Amino acid sequence: MTMAYEERQLVAFTVSSEPGNERLALARVAEAVAGSGLAPDQLERLKTAVAEATMNAIEHGNHNNAALDVDITVIDAGDSVSVLIVDQGGAHAATGDTAVELPDLDKKLAGLQSPRGWGLFLIQNMVDEMDVFTDGDKHTVRLSMHTTSSGGGRIAEPRDPEGDARAEQM
Amino acid sequence: MHVQSKCETEIRSLPGCAVIELRGEVDGSAAATLGAAYDDAVAADQAPCVLLDFARVDYINSTGIALIVSVLAKARSEGRQVIASGLSDHYRQIFAITRLSDFIQLYDDVDAAAASVGPA
Repeated sequence: MTMAYEERQLVAFTVSSEPGNERLALARVAEAVAGSGLAPDQLERLKTAVAEATMNAIEHGNHNNAALDVDITVIDAGDSVSVLIVDQGGAHAATGDTAVELPDLDKKLAGLQSPRGWGLFLIQNMVDEMDVFTDGDKHTVRLSMHTTSSGGGRIAEPRDPEGDARAEQM
Repeated sequence: MHVQSKCETEIRSLPGCAVIELRGEVDGSAAATLGAAYDDAVAADQAPCVLLDFARVDYINSTGIALIVSVLAKARSEGRQVIASGLSDHYRQIFAITRLSDFIQLYDDVDAAAASVGPA
């Protein structure tokens, strides 16, 4: 990822892997990015993406093991704000070529697909960029939102989730 | 793992529509609360329409969306229409992205919804 500006860490914190702690994460992130140039609607979208990614890290990365932390770092890159969410599930992370079934409401209403499975779909449609990478046991999701002054803030057409088998469980 | 639900519901009736007013957080932990509210609402009022009022909801996540999908599927199987009111712009966007708003007519508030389904 090419950086046009020097990155500045706004906050780094951890939450234990207990269901519901995604609410703590989104509150801390929202507080940290205040004044970073995100429009109100962008902030709401970032909060939803952070909550979903943290929930996934807690549930599927760390398997609700309260002894394991989810590490969260918020970075201001000048023309964007990024949130890195790291769990300990790297050893079990999906490979990049793993296909994920797109949530299809018609199929869900017909009972042909689980009502669940919206998490990754929501994340990808809330933020401007999402990157996923693994380093040993560490599984990292990086969520980025362009700040208003850099031309961000558009509302995207729904995007397809691909490349992370956890999406089926979210 | 059980998580205490932070969702509360209140049921009332409007002409032609059973209203489920939701408060708090709509997530996976609200499954029993929302399911019971739906069952109570349709048992008490055989109206062909169920209104979900989100005006006092401050959080909906993906597992909450799944619950809404389940309610919608059940209502459709029973021949009932589901409509909604009180969603913020952000959650209206999520209803659009997930296509829930293709199946659930959205209104600004309960009064606007009632005007659309009540007697002419």
